[in-house]
Amino acid sequence: MQASRARLFKEYKEVQREKTADPDIQLVCDDSNIFKWTALIKGPSETPYEGGVFQLAFAVPEQYPLQPPQVRFLTKIFHPNVHFKTGEICLDILKNAWSPAWTLQSVCRAIIALMAHPEPDSPLNCDSGNLLRSGDMRGFQSMARMYTRLAAMPKKG
Amino acid sequence: MQNQDGAVADREKESAVSIPISEVDDWANFADDDIMQQQSAIHAEEAKKIPFVGDKEPLSMLAAEYESGSPILLEKIKVLDQQYAAIRRTRGDGNCFFRSFMFSYLEHILESQDRAEVDRIKGNVEECRKTLQSLGHTDFTFEDFFSLFLEQLECVLQGNEDSISQDELILRSRDQSISDYVVMFFRFVTSGEIRKRSEFFEPFILGLTNATVEQFCKSSVEPMGEESDHVHITALSDALGVPIRVVYLDRSSCDIGGVSVNHHDFLPTSGDKSNAKGGSTDPVKPFITLLYRPGHYDILYPK
Repeated sequence: MQASRARLFKEYKEVQREKTADPDIQLVCDDSNIFKWTALIKGPSETPYEGGVFQLAFAVPEQYPLQPPQVRFLTKIFHPNVHFKTGEICLDILKNAWSPAWTLQSVCRAIIALMAHPEPDSPLNCDSGNLLRSGDMRGFQSMARMYTRLAAMPKKG
Repeated sequence: MQNQDGAVADREKESAVSIPISEVDDWANFADDDIMQQQSAIHAEEAKKIPFVGDKEPLSMLAAEYESGSPILLEKIKVLDQQYAAIRRTRGDGNCFFRSFMFSYLEHILESQDRAEVDRIKGNVEECRKTLQSLGHTDFTFEDFFSLFLEQLECVLQGNEDSISQDELILRSRDQSISDYVVMFFRFVTSGEIRKRSEFFEPFILGLTNATVEQFCKSSVEPMGEESDHVHITALSDALGVPIRVVYLDRSSCDIGGVSVNHHDFLPTSGDKSNAKGGSTDPVKPFITLLYRPGHYDILYPK
């Protein structure tokens, strides 16, 4: 518990110091609980997520960093490796390939990479996975694009 | 990883575009987390059977295990019995090599009070720190693991305020918050060494998996619970400059003559990268001896 708190505090300081280092990621710690974080990440360019801003929620376990943080999308996203309903993410480093060498910041980068390079063979969203697996790129991109517009872009005012 | 809820998506498409907060707060209803929880339950079950590091047992306990087993193994255990007095088991959680190394090394320092060796390894640890930094690791990702190891090193030296006894060393080795951190320290050190000398390690890694050096370290060295192979042992031995003897207890038999037990000494290369596997002519005698049975490492005590 003490170790995880100390580590998270270091990550917090690093995030404050490097705020401008990665303009695609904005990582914020909950005011009252260092085990709860949220992040805003920009959809990678040349993907159907381009132009969208996606919110992630982090729940950090007490055994962190020996155990991975739990991460999920709060913003709806149409992606083969993200559960359409719960926002759960299927990514090896969040499961058995986790190591303390990762940080909350680098997890965000890995999620952005996953957005750009979906793994349709281990789908959490089968509809999305099936579109990609059947080679219907147009179908996949238009669905993903639509949800980016609906959920991840500011409302037209 | 699979979830058949994809169909739910159809119904959801018309509805909300953001996920309701009530569901967000409930981290428990994740399919994958169920699997992970089940996994940790299995680990907990396993943990009851054997601690991270067991008690010292006479070698006869090993023979008892194979009583109705392969005659070759029984013969080999007899041979072992002539040279080794005892065995100390470690938990088969994928960290057994690193855990065995940890205990064996710290126990050696505790018994020998070899301050020169402690000073020597500290120098190597500093080198490992620089290696990780030069590979682009942020300090805070590994420094806690480094300092915990150095702390244990200080504690096994007697005459300090925080010196510990053998019993306390055993307790610490069984305490997850210390034991796993030290294991993770070794994983960082191993990964750093492999990547620093990636040209040397690449062919060995290609022989094991189809991964690049980088991928191998990310998937098979740095994550806890990933089993160790000769690549890990070579890298750790080289990085820390500690020779390791591995005695192989398997069914392989020699064609002629009596049964013998193979061993291999991993002798650290000192600077020259030509060959990590030192010849048997080297006078260095490893003070760490591990017993390898396919898939698992335990600690052996010479007579």
